Amino acid sequence: MTSQTHGQMPAADALKPMSPLQARQTREFIDGLASEARPYWDMVEIGDELSRDLHLSAELVILYCDGVEDFNPWYEGWRMNSWHIEGQSPFGGAIVPPLLVSHFVLSVQFDATRPFSIGSIHTFHDSEILEPIPVGANVRITTRAIDKFEKRGRRYVRHGVEVTDVESGLLYFRETRDILSL
Amino acid sequence: MDGTGTSLPLDLAITPATPVGYRLQSLRKKAAIQLMGSRLWGRFNPNHWDPVYAAATGLKAPIQTGEMSSAYIAEMCVNHFGAAFFKGSRMVCKYVASTCADEIISTHGVVREKQPKGAGFRFIVDVWAENEASEKKTAGWVEVDVGV
Repeated sequence: MTSQTHGQMPAADALKPMSPLQARQTREFIDGLASEARPYWDMVEIGDELSRDLHLSAELVILYCDGVEDFNPWYEGWRMNSWHIEGQSPFGGAIVPPLLVSHFVLSVQFDATRPFSIGSIHTFHDSEILEPIPVGANVRITTRAIDKFEKRGRRYVRHGVEVTDVESGLLYFRETRDILSL
Repeated sequence: MDGTGTSLPLDLAITPATPVGYRLQSLRKKAAIQLMGSRLWGRFNPNHWDPVYAAATGLKAPIQTGEMSSAYIAEMCVNHFGAAFFKGSRMVCKYVASTCADEIISTHGVVREKQPKGAGFRFIVDVWAENEASEKKTAGWVEVDVGV
């Protein structure tokens, strides 16, 4: 993908070098996402509640940590060469990073059975980190749309979130978060 | 960390004696487009990793998910508060400006207040992330019990 192939668009090569094949595959992927996109505002009603269960596998935690280059050993329930390990933290075995479950909230509030929500931006979170979550836990993430409002000409959707242990019901995490919608 | 990897470096640990005004040690991270567009972080939205798509939606470059800068700030807080950050803490962040691909982001924190609680204090720390031009991208505060 270059400025030559996309007219007025900026050259991408400096940030993300790609061959013509990779550029074509990228455009196909993006076109597929955009073809069914709708504004988030139109897809959410106040009171909508969604819930999904997530297994916090050691590999998932590593993927999260690597993306933000956080190499704290407390989060390692998987290590190259050893593979699965118990890990060590002040709470015994490995635990998940404090905001990891917050990142997965979007996979719940953006209903995966509906079209891609084009142009949505996460703008705010008020997060309570209540208890450490062990690597390997199964958590239930529940989101409820609690408000839709306009501020300075922009539209926002507010959700309340709870994350609990699927087996014990222990409340690990609670959050209020806003999404700016087209 | 000690040999077991479960305790904090002593020179970083915030204790009940840590004064108001104490500055947390900064972290620096590059908003690398390859990380921004990884499957777990931003692949679902091309605004996070595709320069052409980002330009078409009015952005000067792909933007990082705000949650990445929150994760940077949380890492800084764990460095200083250790286990206390995982029990009864609170983190409030507003994404005040977009972090663009290739920017260098640094995290910051200053102890604003210590509220007496039990045998210790609930620390209130102003936190933010900014680029090299000191433009704030994420701003908020954390609350953490220390020695309670």
